[in-house]
Amino acid sequence: MIMTRQAFLVTSGIDGQMLEFWLEQQWLIPQDGPDGPAFSDGDVARAHFILDLKRDFGVNDEGVGLVLHLVDQLHGMRRAFALLKNEMSAGRSDL
Amino acid sequence: MATNPYEVLGVRASASAAEIQKAYRALAKKLHPDLNPGDTASEEKFKEVTASYDLLRDPEKRKRFDDGEIDASGMERPPRHYYRDYSDAANGHSYASNAGFTDFSEDDDPFAELLRRSQRARANRRGEDLHFRLPIAFVDSITGASKRIALPDGGALDVTIPPGLVDGQTLRLKGKGAPGLGEGGPGDALIEIEVLPDPRFARDGDNIVLDLPISLREAVLGARIRVPTPTGEVEMALPKGSNTGTTLRLKGKGAPRRGGGHGDELVKLKVVLPKPPDPALEAFVETWSEADRFNPREGMPS
Repeated sequence: MIMTRQAFLVTSGIDGQMLEFWLEQQWLIPQDGPDGPAFSDGDVARAHFILDLKRDFGVNDEGVGLVLHLVDQLHGMRRAFALLKNEMSAGRSDL
Repeated sequence: MATNPYEVLGVRASASAAEIQKAYRALAKKLHPDLNPGDTASEEKFKEVTASYDLLRDPEKRKRFDDGEIDASGMERPPRHYYRDYSDAANGHSYASNAGFTDFSEDDDPFAELLRRSQRARANRRGEDLHFRLPIAFVDSITGASKRIALPDGGALDVTIPPGLVDGQTLRLKGKGAPGLGEGGPGDALIEIEVLPDPRFARDGDNIVLDLPISLREAVLGARIRVPTPTGEVEMALPKGSNTGTTLRLKGKGAPRRGGGHGDELVKLKVVLPKPPDPALEAFVETWSEADRFNPREGMPS
C-alpha cells in the first residue's frame, strides 16, 4: 500500500520532526508521488526497525546510520546469493 | 505468552531495571529479525522476549505482574512486519546496496556477470501490485456498475464492475498499481470484490432467490403482483391456491451465465396473515365449515 506523509506518520508512530531528520539522513527514501512523498509498507517496516534501534537498543544517530548501511549491504548480498542459487539450480553449465 | 517473563529474559525476579534492559538488548541483538535476516526461526522467540521486556520495563506493569494482578499473556505487541520481509519486495525505494560486492562484479567472469545482472534487474523493477477491497451492493454485482476507489495518495481509480461477480472475486486492472523503476513498468491493481448482502435477494449459483410475502387473499384467489428483481420490478401472475413454500420462476431474471444468457429468479412465496389480527377474518374462519376436514399434518410421523 502506498501512503501519504500524514498516513505514514500515523502508521509508523513517529512524529513529523523525527521524520524530517530521518529523510535528511536518507534513512528513509520514499518514492515521488503526485502529491509529495509516497511511502510504502516497506518504509513503515523500516521505520519500525529504526525505532527499535533507537529506543530499545539505545543506538545513537550515528550508530543507526551505520547499522542501516550494513544491513542494506547485507540485503544486497542476500539478493545476489539468491540469484546465484537460482542460476545454479537452473543448471547453468558456465557457472 | 505463558512463560514467566523473568525466565524468558534470564534475569532474577529482583533484577534492577538496568539489568533487565541489558538482558533484553543482549537477546534482541541475537533474535531481532532485521538484524538476522536469514534466521526465520528466531522470530517467535523474539516476540516472546519483546513481550517480556514490554512487561518488565514498565515499573507499574511489573509491580502488577509481581503482585499477581495481571497475567503475562496480555502484554503481547500487535503483530508487525519486519523490514527484512520488504527488503527484496518490488515496492517503494530499494535500500539494498551493492557496496558489499561491487569489487567482485567488476571482474570478467560468470559470477561477476550474474552480479551485474542482479543490479540491472533492480534498476528496472516492475511496480508493486496494489490490493484493494471494494464493497458493492448485491444488485450491482448482478447488473454491473462503475465505481471509483479513493487512493491513499489522493488519486482515484475507476473500476468497471462486470455483471455477475460473486463475493470474493478479484479484478485485476493492468498497470494501475504502483509505478516501477526504470523500464520496469507499473504493477497491477487487484481489487477484491465484497458483495454486500441484500435484505431481499440471495444468490444460488446463477439463480437469485427471493422470499416474497403475499397476503391470504392473493394466496387463495391468485393475483397479478409486482416482484422486485435486480433490474427493476416486474409483474408476475400468482396462480390461485399459491401456498407458502411454493416457488415460482422468473425466467432470465437471475445472474448472467458464464457462457451467455441469464439464470432465473426463484420467487419463494410466504403467506402472511394480516397484522394486527383481523376480526372479520376470525369470524369467517369460525363459521367456515370445511376448515376441520383438512389436516395439514396428515402423514407426519408423531
